[in-house]
Amino acid sequence: MSRINDVGGMAGFPPVVEEPDEPPFHADWEAHVFALNGALIKRGVYDLDEFRDAQERLPVQQYLAASYYERWFAAITTLLAEKGVATPEELAGDEHGH
Amino acid sequence: MSTGTDRFAPGDRVRTRATDPAGHTRLPRYARGAVGVVVERAGRHPLADDRARGVAGDAQPVWHVRFAAADLFGAGDHTVTVELWDDYLTPAEEPR
Repeated sequence: MSRINDVGGMAGFPPVVEEPDEPPFHADWEAHVFALNGALIKRGVYDLDEFRDAQERLPVQQYLAASYYERWFAAITTLLAEKGVATPEELAGDEHGH
Repeated sequence: MSTGTDRFAPGDRVRTRATDPAGHTRLPRYARGAVGVVVERAGRHPLADDRARGVAGDAQPVWHVRFAAADLFGAGDHTVTVELWDDYLTPAEEPR
């Protein structure tokens, strides 16, 4: 099934706006997400293709509304829960379940 | 093909898989069922579609394949080069 990420050549999307002198990260949290993902892949918690797959499995509305690193963060939390590393409650910062 | 001699060489005409797989794939929708020309081999790597499902898989050739934009999009004078796994390709002369 073609997913929402696969939009190459598709009409109807606005033009890509290039940002002059774009920094690698627009906020500190983005750099943390980048580093966390690299560490989890290096530790073998999941691989790069599972990570891409997890982004593509996001609900379409969420995928389109999210920024680049918001998609990364959503995919990381999806995989941490699916791999049994952390519960969704823990990932939400509510380790006591309330 | 996972081992042995490469099936393709630069200049070979290849056709991409037309099927739309259920999960992750690195064959973009716009390049499915299209005929292009092999540019070069871009190393060997396990199929991303398999790895995304937790299947390790054997390394296989990855190819740079060049398409005429008009063949993909119906217009355009330029070419588009896509990095494609061996599994995505058949010789263009074989029946589909």
